[in-house]
Amino acid sequence: MNLVATLGASALLTALAASIVATVTAAAGHRLRSRALLLASRRSIHAAALLTSGAVVALAYALLTNDFSIAHVASVSSRNMQVAMKWASLYSGQPGSLLFWTWTMSLFMAAFTSITVPRIPWGAAHAVATMGIVLSMFLVALIFFASPFQLSLVTPPDGQGLNPLLVDPGMLIHPPFLLTGLVSTSIPFTLGAAALMSGRLDAAWVRHARGWALASFLVLSIGNFLGGWWAYTVLGWGGYWGWDPVENSAILPLLPMIAFLHTLIVQERRGMLKTWNLVLVLASFALAVFGTFNVRSGLVASVHSFAQSEVGPYFLVLMGLTVLVSIVLIGWRLPRLHAEADFDALASREAGLILNSYLMIALALVILGGTLFPVFSELLRGVRVTVGPPFYNEVTAPIFVLTLLLIVAGTVLPWRGGSMQHHVRRFRVPVVVALAAWIALGALGMHAPAALLATGLCVTIGYVTFREYFIASRGLRAARGSSWPGALAGVFGRDPRRAGGYLVHIGVAIMAVGVIGSTVYQVQTRHVVSPGDTFDVSGYTFRYDDLVARRPGINGIEVEGLTRLEVTRNGRAVTTLEPGRRFFSNFPDQPTAIVALDSSFTRDLYVFTQGWDENKKAEIQVFVNPLAQWLWIGGSIYTLGGLLAFGVLRREPARVAATVPADAEPA
Amino acid sequence: MIRALRPAAASRAVSRAAAVLAVAALSLALVTSEAHAQTPSTTPPAPTTAPGRPTPSDAQVLAVEQQLLCPICTNERLDVCSNAICNDMKRVIRERLQAGSTPDDIILYFETRFGPKVRAELPREGFNLVLFGWVGGALVLTALAGGYALYGMRRDTARRVARATGTTSSPAAGGDGWVDALVDEADDGRGSR
Repeated sequence: MNLVATLGASALLTALAASIVATVTAAAGHRLRSRALLLASRRSIHAAALLTSGAVVALAYALLTNDFSIAHVASVSSRNMQVAMKWASLYSGQPGSLLFWTWTMSLFMAAFTSITVPRIPWGAAHAVATMGIVLSMFLVALIFFASPFQLSLVTPPDGQGLNPLLVDPGMLIHPPFLLTGLVSTSIPFTLGAAALMSGRLDAAWVRHARGWALASFLVLSIGNFLGGWWAYTVLGWGGYWGWDPVENSAILPLLPMIAFLHTLIVQERRGMLKTWNLVLVLASFALAVFGTFNVRSGLVASVHSFAQSEVGPYFLVLMGLTVLVSIVLIGWRLPRLHAEADFDALASREAGLILNSYLMIALALVILGGTLFPVFSELLRGVRVTVGPPFYNEVTAPIFVLTLLLIVAGTVLPWRGGSMQHHVRRFRVPVVVALAAWIALGALGMHAPAALLATGLCVTIGYVTFREYFIASRGLRAARGSSWPGALAGVFGRDPRRAGGYLVHIGVAIMAVGVIGSTVYQVQTRHVVSPGDTFDVSGYTFRYDDLVARRPGINGIEVEGLTRLEVTRNGRAVTTLEPGRRFFSNFPDQPTAIVALDSSFTRDLYVFTQGWDENKKAEIQVFVNPLAQWLWIGGSIYTLGGLLAFGVLRREPARVAATVPADAEPA
Repeated sequence: MIRALRPAAASRAVSRAAAVLAVAALSLALVTSEAHAQTPSTTPPAPTTAPGRPTPSDAQVLAVEQQLLCPICTNERLDVCSNAICNDMKRVIRERLQAGSTPDDIILYFETRFGPKVRAELPREGFNLVLFGWVGGALVLTALAGGYALYGMRRDTARRVARATGTTSSPAAGGDGWVDALVDEADDGRGSR
């Protein structure tokens, strides 16, 4: 008997029991009005989280001690793997990722049970019961379909090691963020379901959901950024987003979450969009489950897919149930979901926020259609087609441009609209800024219409946002006599959500410029060269010095071949690049690319080697990606904005100038 | 699993030999034209060569490659894929361009050979139009739904306002009204220094 495997498997079984107990005691406690039972239900969620953590510790221990009698350990780890890379082994493969998913979900639920559940007496029982059901669904999949503690039939002396593509430092952070982000959508879902079941349909659930939704949005966004960064630096195709079906699955739940973060403001302030907000959180979780199904079923061919397994149909049923229950619940409560309508004008900030949410849903529908179309084509016609980047770039570009336009309009438009003169006053300078930006960019040589339109809008987003920061800081400075930086920090302290949200918008604008630069103006060339040869790309001269071999002797790497390139510009040395290929002992047919990057603020030189012959004659591909770094800079600003929106700079508000209306004083 | 069950020494020897083979195969398949003769199954009937024609430029070849996908890997563009079959396809593209084929002919050739999945861009024809219909439908549907929602809320408001004799129900809640007030002032040219 393997003690570690037995302990791990028992912990998971007991966690399943605990989550079922949570649901049963929550339901009974609610019916019998028993505080003891309700307390027991909350404790059961904590117990389930503790037990799942125990299972993770058991698997981690097995990985660290090279216990290859456990099949999962033998399939994703090996003796010469670095300890740090074993962290990646923990969540790779079907059982490992499902365990990680369930574990982080249980932690989120435990935190939610501690922080929020005690504050929602109206829906505590419903929330705990929902969490118990969701958690037990995933535990069933983990225990009965993809157990990480299954034993090897014969214990091998060494494991197979991690899949070559995953042997990269990026893998230590990208999957945890993405999986955690997907899992976190379960919390707003739980709150929405609790609101529907309990009948407490005012803004209470939204108030409690916003922090969790913000967290979910942030973690999911970071997961997607890191995924793009990993693809860029590891996969070796010159880009960062390939519209792969699994990439799409990762971005899909984010879209309704972004929409919800915007429309929840409308429900809070105006009592509108009650049904819509529920639809958004339910859709976000359903899409997260769709993503898990998509990755695990082998339904859609993707570089990320796990092997086809019986867990696929299970998740299809789970997703169907999620959607069905959501529809039934909303249908049941629909008569009570009327707005405390107070809609004044189409040209108002609330209208902008509402339109934004519809735009996000349109984007989600388009991406969902593209992701599933190959499946339908094969099912109905028996023809396999590929829906690739050209399709997505074309159909999503107008939606992205409209989104940028809405960011400008939403920032400038006042709440509840205003008179025509008011609008003219507010919009005259932004319109001039946009026109000036378009003329200037056109004069600088930007002629692609979509690129020109979008970049001009990004400049305008920068203007309207910084103007708000400036005016608000000036007001606080006048009221408090503080310095400019102090006043700006004060703006983030007083209205963290608004100021943080604006920073996210700036991040989006900078990223958009980066995307435009690195896709529309990308240069790609290929060269077959012998040592000593030179070639020119976009004003840079590359000299191929030599082919060198390196044997790091870790992580299953057999040998790395590197083509050393000296890069000069106008005779001056720029950098030395060493792109190459990495060969693995246990995966001889899966060599991976070693991408060499030279980054600057204006461009990336992105080089990879496709191979070489016995005379060291090598084939080298060079991409010049203008403004590619803006993507990561924008992503960092976006992340910072999301963090600041939590109110980390919040402090006791000081009185602002006397000219500020009385109702503006913080509560 | 089967891999993991192999004795280690044998496994390592086999994989090392395989790694060496892979390197060799890659090297061979890459540039030398002799290497391509080793994979006759992927070699198409040789087109009639036209020695008088100019050699196609790398950019021309690349432009065709970018419109095709690797038939084995998932969602990997031909130009950035380096397995043997892709190297073979790249050679064929160069040869056919040299022989005077148009890019469309070459793409069609590979499509008949490997199926429509090797096209990077989904053709807008036949059943594929369903997807474009879905896109159009989704956009129109969300636009209508959004418009209807806004219109509905507005009509409700008008009715309510009429009933409540001109009073609006909820004043702007939340703590950021002061920013709007300051922005209004600035727009009016009354901004504080």
